[in-house]
Amino acid sequence: MSDIIITKSLSKRLGKVQAIRNVSMSVRKGEFLAIQGHSGSGKTTLLGLLAGLDSADAGEILFNGKQITKMDEEQLALFRRENIGIVFQSFNLIPTLNAVENIALPLFPSNMKNGEMLAKATLAAREVGLGQRLEHYPNELSGGEQQRIAIARALINSPKAIFADEPTGNLDSKTGKKILELLKQLNKEKGLTIIMVTHDDKMAKAAHRILKIKDGVIRHG
Amino acid sequence: MQEIMKRKGRYLLSILVIALVVAMVITLNSLSIAYKDAAKLPFESIHSSIIIQKNGNVPENTTGTVLSCSLAPISLPSVERISSIDGVKDVSSGLFLWVFDSDNFKRVLGVHWNDSIGTRIKSKLVVGRAPATDTEALIEQTYASQYGLRINQPISISGKAFTISGIIATQGNDIVSSDAYIGLAQAQQLAYTSPNLQATESFNADDVNIIFVDADQAKVKSVAAQLKDIFTDSAQNGGKTPTGQTIGSYTISTPDSFESQISSLFLLSDNLIAVLLAVTSIGAALIVIKNMSQSILERRKEFGIMKAVGFASRDLRNEVIAETSVQLFLGYVAGLVLSAVAIFALAGTTIAVSIPWDLNPYPHFLASDPQSISTMQTYPLPISFQYPYAIAAFLLVAAIGMVTVLILARYLNKTKAVEVLRYE
Repeated sequence: MSDIIITKSLSKRLGKVQAIRNVSMSVRKGEFLAIQGHSGSGKTTLLGLLAGLDSADAGEILFNGKQITKMDEEQLALFRRENIGIVFQSFNLIPTLNAVENIALPLFPSNMKNGEMLAKATLAAREVGLGQRLEHYPNELSGGEQQRIAIARALINSPKAIFADEPTGNLDSKTGKKILELLKQLNKEKGLTIIMVTHDDKMAKAAHRILKIKDGVIRHG
Repeated sequence: MQEIMKRKGRYLLSILVIALVVAMVITLNSLSIAYKDAAKLPFESIHSSIIIQKNGNVPENTTGTVLSCSLAPISLPSVERISSIDGVKDVSSGLFLWVFDSDNFKRVLGVHWNDSIGTRIKSKLVVGRAPATDTEALIEQTYASQYGLRINQPISISGKAFTISGIIATQGNDIVSSDAYIGLAQAQQLAYTSPNLQATESFNADDVNIIFVDADQAKVKSVAAQLKDIFTDSAQNGGKTPTGQTIGSYTISTPDSFESQISSLFLLSDNLIAVLLAVTSIGAALIVIKNMSQSILERRKEFGIMKAVGFASRDLRNEVIAETSVQLFLGYVAGLVLSAVAIFALAGTTIAVSIPWDLNPYPHFLASDPQSISTMQTYPLPISFQYPYAIAAFLLVAAIGMVTVLILARYLNKTKAVEVLRYE
C-alpha cells in the first residue's frame, strides 16, 4: 500500500508557541489514522497543515505525490475541493442553508447545475444514513444528524482522504459511537483514507494506527 | 437571493437606503428642472423668451395718456438691430400706455395685429372678432364685466373713439396684460400727442416701449447677452424708479431671471440640490458599506467554512458581488418606483410664479389696497420623470456597489480557511 501523505521536517509557529516541531510522518492510502494528544499538543494545527488549511513555516507535505506546501491560496482551495473532505468537531454547517444545501456546499463553486448538485447531495446523504429531513435547517437537527450532514458534505466531492477534527467531541457517547462506526464503515467500504484527531483513547483505538503528539512533536510513529 | 431572503432584516436597511437615495436623486432633479421650466411659463403665454423694457421717469401728472416708469420709449433703430442676432426667431413690439380718462383708468396695449404678439392676443377671443379697422379695439373680459361693456359698443380711449370688435380672456395678472388692445399706430399717435407724456419722456412718433423676442431655447442666454450690448444703459439723471431701477437703464427679462426668483422662493437652487445629494449619497454609501461589512463580519465563520471546503477567494468575491448586486438592484428598482410615485403626486400640485410689477405695471395709487394687487400667476407644476437622472442614480448606485465590493473583497482575501479550526 503506497503513501498518500508524506511530511518532512514540518514546523509551524503560532505566535510565541512552536506548535509543530520538525514532524516527519506518512499516511498510507486507505489507512484510518488517529492523531492523539492532549489539548494544546498541536494535533489540530497538524491536521490544518495536512489538510492544506494552513501553511507551514518549514518542511514539506506531499499529498498523493504533489507538494502542497508550495501552493498559493487559490491552488490550495482547488486542492481541498478536489482531494479532501473535512469534518469538524462543531459540525460547521451554514445556518441559512438546509441539510441538502449544506451537503452540496463544496459543489457551489463548480459549474454544476442546481438540480444535479442537489441530486448528488441527496445520494451523499443516503450514504451516511440520512435519507430524510433533508429540507431541515441545522438548528432543527440533532447533533448526530448535523455531524452526518458534515460527513456527507466531506464525501460529496469523492475525496481521496477525510480529515476529522474531534468528530465526536460535541456528541454524547452513544451518538459518538455511531459517527465513529460510520467513519470506519466509509474507510472499509470505500477505501477512504481517514485522518482523525482526537484526545480520546477509546476513539483512537478504533483506528488502524495511532500517532501520539505532545508539544508539537510526534512521539510514536 | 436565498441568502438575502434569510437575512432580510439586515438587507432591508441597505435596500431602503439605496431606494431613498435613488428617489432623492431623481425626484429632486426632476423638481429642479420643473422649476426651471416653470420659469418659462409666463413667457410661453406670450410666445416670447426675452422681454426688453427701458426704465424711465415717473409721470408727474396722471391725466390723459402717460407711460409707466418701467416702460420708457425705445427708439425704432434699436428694435431693428435685434432681428440680425443669431438665434432670434421673431421680434415684435408694443406700446403699453396708462390712460387716465375722466371716467376711468385703463391699461392700453398697442400692437401690430399680424405679428406674433397681435396674433397671440387675437387667439384669446371669446366673443366677437379681431379688429379690422384702425378704430376698433379688443377689451379684456374682466374689464368688460366691470364696466358692462359689450361688442359693437363704443369706447373712448384718451378722447379717441373706438368700437369694441371683440372681448378676449387673458390672465389678468399675466405679463403685460391690459384692459384694452388697439393697433400700434393708434397707440403711438395717442402717446405722441399726449402733452403729459411728452413732458415726462421724449416720445418719437414711431417709438415703442416693450419688445418681445422669441429666441431658440438653446440660445436664449447668448441672445440676451448680445441684447445687453445693443441696449446699453444711458443714465439720464442718475435717479431711480420706485422699483429701484436706474432711470435710463434697460431691463432684459428672461426665464433665467424668473428662475432665480423661483429658486430663492423654494430654496431649491442647483447648489443646494448638489450639496443635499452629495451629503445623502455619501451618507448612504457609508450606511450600505457598514451594513454589508457588518453582515460579512457576522458571517466570518461561514466564509471560513466555505474556504475550508474549497471555495477560492474569487468564489467568495463572486458571492459577495452577487449579494451586493441583488440588494442594490432591488434598492434601485424600489427607488425608481418611489420617485415615479413622488413625481406623479407632485404633478398634481401647482406653482405660483410672481410676475414682477415692471412686467405688468398697474398704478398702485388707484388700488384701494395697493398690497392686494395680485402679481402671482399659478401654473400646474410642469414636472416629469427625468430619465437622465435615473441613469445618473444607477451610476451612483453602481459606484456605491463597487466601493462596497472592493472593501469586502479586501477583507475576504484576508480571511484564512484555517480560522475555521480556531472556532473549534
